[in-house]
Amino acid sequence: MEILSIKNLTKNYGRIRALNDVSFSVPAKTVFGILGPNGSGKTTLLGIIMDITKATAGTYTWEGEQIAANDLRKKIGTLLETPNFYHYLSAERNLKIAAAIKGRGEGDIEKVLKIVNLYQRKNSKFQTFSLGMKQRLAIAAALLGDPEILVFDEPTNGLDPAGIAEIRELIKVLHRQGKTIIMASHILDEVEKVCTHVAIIQKGVLKTVSSVSELMSTGAKDTGISVAIEISAADNTAVQNILKELNGVQSVTEVDNELHLICSENITGEMLNRFCFDNGVVLNKLMVKRKSLETRFLEITGKQSDK
Amino acid sequence: MNNLLKIEWLKLKNYTAFIVMTIFFLVGVFALNYIVYTVNKNIVRNVPGAGLVSFSPYNFPNTWQSTSYATGFILVLPALLLLMLFTNEYSFKTHRQNIIDGLSRQQFISIKFVMAFIFALVSTLLVFISALLFGLASGTSFSFQGIEYVGYFFLKALSYNLIAILFSVLVKRTGFAIGIFFIYLGAENIMSQLLNVLSIKLKNENKIDIGNIGDYLPMNAADSLLAFPDNPIKSMSKTIMPTDYTWVVFILAVVYLVVFYLWSRHKFINADL
Repeated sequence: MEILSIKNLTKNYGRIRALNDVSFSVPAKTVFGILGPNGSGKTTLLGIIMDITKATAGTYTWEGEQIAANDLRKKIGTLLETPNFYHYLSAERNLKIAAAIKGRGEGDIEKVLKIVNLYQRKNSKFQTFSLGMKQRLAIAAALLGDPEILVFDEPTNGLDPAGIAEIRELIKVLHRQGKTIIMASHILDEVEKVCTHVAIIQKGVLKTVSSVSELMSTGAKDTGISVAIEISAADNTAVQNILKELNGVQSVTEVDNELHLICSENITGEMLNRFCFDNGVVLNKLMVKRKSLETRFLEITGKQSDK
Repeated sequence: MNNLLKIEWLKLKNYTAFIVMTIFFLVGVFALNYIVYTVNKNIVRNVPGAGLVSFSPYNFPNTWQSTSYATGFILVLPALLLLMLFTNEYSFKTHRQNIIDGLSRQQFISIKFVMAFIFALVSTLLVFISALLFGLASGTSFSFQGIEYVGYFFLKALSYNLIAILFSVLVKRTGFAIGIFFIYLGAENIMSQLLNVLSIKLKNENKIDIGNIGDYLPMNAADSLLAFPDNPIKSMSKTIMPTDYTWVVFILAVVYLVVFYLWSRHKFINADL
């Protein structure tokens, strides 16, 4: 089941095209990362699906329903860009306003303040909070009413390392509870650790969308990226000689008694092992190198910021 | 609607500017009228030759008009408060959060209009009570004659409040919005005076009497419905003044209200927030 379906979304700010014909779907019960460099259009995209920014063209539907329907937004917990609260009101009073808008009782307020470790400061005014505390309060507001869908824009922004770890753990817990989480971030490590699916946007253009494991597995078909494999055997020279017979091996380099292979996408570890064995060589090491999301991201987007 | 009012009340009740300006306005309504009442009673009437202008603004039925007119000078306070409340939403970006949390844009802007209406209604109620108290204090017999001026006061209060909302939606930043609001009021006033001089010239030199043209400007339309009660001297000058087309000014004032409302609503509903 699809929670969100986006079709051909385009947004122009004057002559600048912030989003260009973006289409993808968010499956239910996933942690869906929207990844892109600064200025790539992530926040614009989230702004459109939350009805605070008007799309120039294209449509989106939540759970199959054409939205603009504010009633549906009441069921979504959202943290967009910076935490937005009334500076002169306490944390608790700000949450009372959010709860009243969502049509929820005030029973949840204590619970969500405890989740984000702000209960002791519930009576402090928002203007006295540090950036990290403001971010925690925004997450608390998003959790009001135990929503099935959560939308987070840079959720760990402003948090200290312990806070970042807590929020990442919280997102994992929410995912295990069966909630769908849509999360924009430019922090690759965060997306890699937390997300199950990812869409990469650059300069307003959707570059790729897939599950994180698919994206990071070597040889993704969309880019034709090669596979890196490290092997070693008792006689590396013999191995080098027989590998000349194997189609798809692009290069072999010896490094510290190991052979580093770059192969085309059709070569798998299992195939390589069998080929060597059939040719009388037993490998004592074979490791298909899994690329980090950072590597994949840079391969897909290049190294430039979108600013 | 009850829930929307509850949300606005949650925003308002701990806002210091709301408390301070409400106190200023409450005290201001009674203080301002008391000053005019006292000055007239103790000073103007003791001036030699004051018999010619012997006139008691707070006697019935003048009290309705006098109180409405005098209080009109501090109507800028509730308008300013509304402007600050709305532009604060832009400054804190809470308007975005309210929409994200589930208010529709229509609901968000509508409750602001309702607040403008409530502020105008409460101001008018205060004027009614003050006029009644000063009238009763004057010792003259009660009369509802001239009560329409309290209605004109409501129209003027609503005009100020709705233009404050319009400036909030258009300008968004509190400081700029307040500055532009006052500059606009001042500029329109000057323009109105110049146009009124032109109107007198047109009437007396060209025999063209189309009323006071300055009264047809957006804020002056509602303003000009509230004049101080005519005293004998002022009445004598009427022969050279253009005709007061009260009904035209009234219709224009209502039309401007509708324009302020539709313009603000259209802008808020269709803009990126």
